Amino acid sequence: MKKTKGIWFGRGVHVPDRKTAAARPIEDMPAPAVASLSTSMSIGRPAVPVVKVGDRVGFGQLIAAADGAISCNVHSSVSGEVVAIEARQNATGGTETYIDVRNDGKDEKYFLPPLDDPTPAQLCRRAAEAGLVGMGGAGFPTAVKLAPRTPVDTLVVNGAECEPYLTCDYRIMTERTDDIVRGARLFARALGISDIVIGIEANKPDAVAAFEKYDDLKVVELRKQYPMGGEKQLIYCATGRRVPVGKLPADVGCDVQNVATCLAMCEAVEQGKPLVDRVMTVAGGGVKEAKNIRVRLGTPLEEVVAFCGGMTGDAVKLVSGGPMMGFAIVGLGSPTKKTTGGLLLLSAGETDESRPTPCLSCGKCADVCPMKLMPMNTAFYTEAGDYEGAAHMGGVLSCIECGACAYVCPAKRPLLQNIRLAKAELRKKK
Amino acid sequence: MSELVISASPHIRSGLTTRRLMIDVIIALLPCCAAAIVFFGWYSLAIIAISAATAAVTEIVYSLVYRKAWKDFKGTLLQILRDFDFTSVITGIILALILPTAYNVRGDIVLLPWYLPFLGSIFAIALCKMLFGGTGRNLVNPADTGRVFLFISFTAYMTACYGICVVQPVVELTADAGEVLTGATPLTAFLAGDGKTLSMLDLFLGTGVDGSMGETCKIAIIVGYLYLSLRRVIKWYYPLIYIGTAAVFAFMLEGFSDPAVMPYTVLSGGMMFGAVFMATDYSTSPKSTLANVIYYVCLGLLNAGLRKATGMEVTSFCILIMNCLTPLLDRYIPRRPFGYVREKRVKEKEEKA
Repeated sequence: MKKTKGIWFGRGVHVPDRKTAAARPIEDMPAPAVASLSTSMSIGRPAVPVVKVGDRVGFGQLIAAADGAISCNVHSSVSGEVVAIEARQNATGGTETYIDVRNDGKDEKYFLPPLDDPTPAQLCRRAAEAGLVGMGGAGFPTAVKLAPRTPVDTLVVNGAECEPYLTCDYRIMTERTDDIVRGARLFARALGISDIVIGIEANKPDAVAAFEKYDDLKVVELRKQYPMGGEKQLIYCATGRRVPVGKLPADVGCDVQNVATCLAMCEAVEQGKPLVDRVMTVAGGGVKEAKNIRVRLGTPLEEVVAFCGGMTGDAVKLVSGGPMMGFAIVGLGSPTKKTTGGLLLLSAGETDESRPTPCLSCGKCADVCPMKLMPMNTAFYTEAGDYEGAAHMGGVLSCIECGACAYVCPAKRPLLQNIRLAKAELRKKK
Repeated sequence: MSELVISASPHIRSGLTTRRLMIDVIIALLPCCAAAIVFFGWYSLAIIAISAATAAVTEIVYSLVYRKAWKDFKGTLLQILRDFDFTSVITGIILALILPTAYNVRGDIVLLPWYLPFLGSIFAIALCKMLFGGTGRNLVNPADTGRVFLFISFTAYMTACYGICVVQPVVELTADAGEVLTGATPLTAFLAGDGKTLSMLDLFLGTGVDGSMGETCKIAIIVGYLYLSLRRVIKWYYPLIYIGTAAVFAFMLEGFSDPAVMPYTVLSGGMMFGAVFMATDYSTSPKSTLANVIYYVCLGLLNAGLRKATGMEVTSFCILIMNCLTPLLDRYIPRRPFGYVREKRVKEKEEKA
């Protein structure tokens, strides 16, 4: 359908685009010699390994099964032999269980049977079987989202990609438009609805144009403003509905899915392919060539960087995900996961490590907060150790941790750290 | 590779810094300084320089003492200079701009003693700012309080020429459009020359108008206001709320008799300068938008009301009063998060269901 202009949530920040890899088509990266698949690829509990060291596994075979509802299946991304199942240091310095599979190069497929004309129940089961998680970065299991507690009437597809640097969603939206639309239709079918809205930021006009060709799809061109891709912001801007404080999108009849998740759903249903690879962006001043690549899960980040021409000497900070919400990683030793949408090698000029100075009470953090909170109050009360005060005066429990406040702060206060600390302390008390 | 930085998100930051904001404010004050030199001579530049330098030195000396600099003098000084954010320089400049350059003793024009801006700056920085914790922690606007301190301590100097207030003469103005304004203070009569009247244009440009050196030339203030608004240092509508409320309220107090009272209210005295440069001070104004709107409306009401009641220039007192109420506004004007639903409404819905 012809595009419509989305409304604006009235706040947020203008972040620099820096989408240097936008013009680069997706390249397929060769499968790694050894794929190290983490069992913790969703936001919930780690999966339980179902293979033993020495087992032969096929490409796409289940190697770790979901442990409960908020967890996801893990499938082998190569065919070969399981050489190790062990706990190792992960990207952020903690430990995770990894299953190492040595690639025999044969890629013997071990996919699920494709589904023709599936029922909603079959689709939900397939999303769980294929190990689908929200691929925007949170890693929430998709199957849970497909069984909302309250009836929904609209599927909102998230193509905002408001993070700087990242271009992987933009590339799949222009290169795999049809697959994404089919995936979105499958999600709609699983939910028993027909209204599909896709929200795309205005800085991606070709992606908007590509989706205008489909008659059953409402395309909403969103203002370029961070954090437009935040779930509540996206729902408000694309449909005009406000998700009440403490409620879920389903409470206003919406279900939000990322474009990359739609693509994975399409592949999982039509080809029976579990989630074993994903498209990610490698960018930043510290890498020779910024690229969009399709990688098998479990590929070590070292190999990813080597595929992009290697590191220049300027890299001072490695970030997994986008620069606003991603996390700094300790090194390139860890492998890619389902939620790794980007790998940024930031140079000193791009990142900012200046020391915090006293708060001016300028109120700029409150002006940009997309949730209309008071980050300066949160930080003030948290620094004083009064977490109840932080919740009352700063509204910290509604925070989506987008980082707009810390981005805009002229005094470079560690606002987001304080917010996270207050949240963690309040959670402990409950 | 071994020197990787690990920190929490966000990993990119805006180029905005405290220092940049403060330098923007200094730039916005430059037209007022230039107007002061044009209308009141080079001595005004000397006052501005004394005041700004004293303010900066006071802050540095205070920090040196506070950090026990005698242990490592050079290191501490370098650290203080690196962290120096120019807020005290702004305080110094604003304090100078709200002082007169000369005062009147029985018809003789005497220049303002140099030690007034000096003492005022020390009072403003040491007592009003640093004692409360420095940048961003002060309860009241330091420059404003410095002026009130001088006003109370050196009444002879300060009242002699400070603050013509045209609210009262305006009534006469309609009856007899001559000599009314010049009758406000002896010095005004002297500067304007006998029989010469102050027109609205004079008040706007500051030609022949008596008052504090930075606040007479309204066009310079407007230039500064536009600069601050365009650079998003202040929100453009806050000073307008203040000035608009004051104008309308002054009109109401005159019983809706004479619309000319509105431009005179806006153009006379220090209200416009106070609205743009002093009321908008970050640390002494509320944080949320709603609380800010209430703050500026109250300022406008107070300003017009007190002017009518006292017949004096009261802007600095109004700002001081509202500064003291700011913490209350911050505390009791809640900000509603996105998607906020009133508890009452939730209960109603539940009862219906």
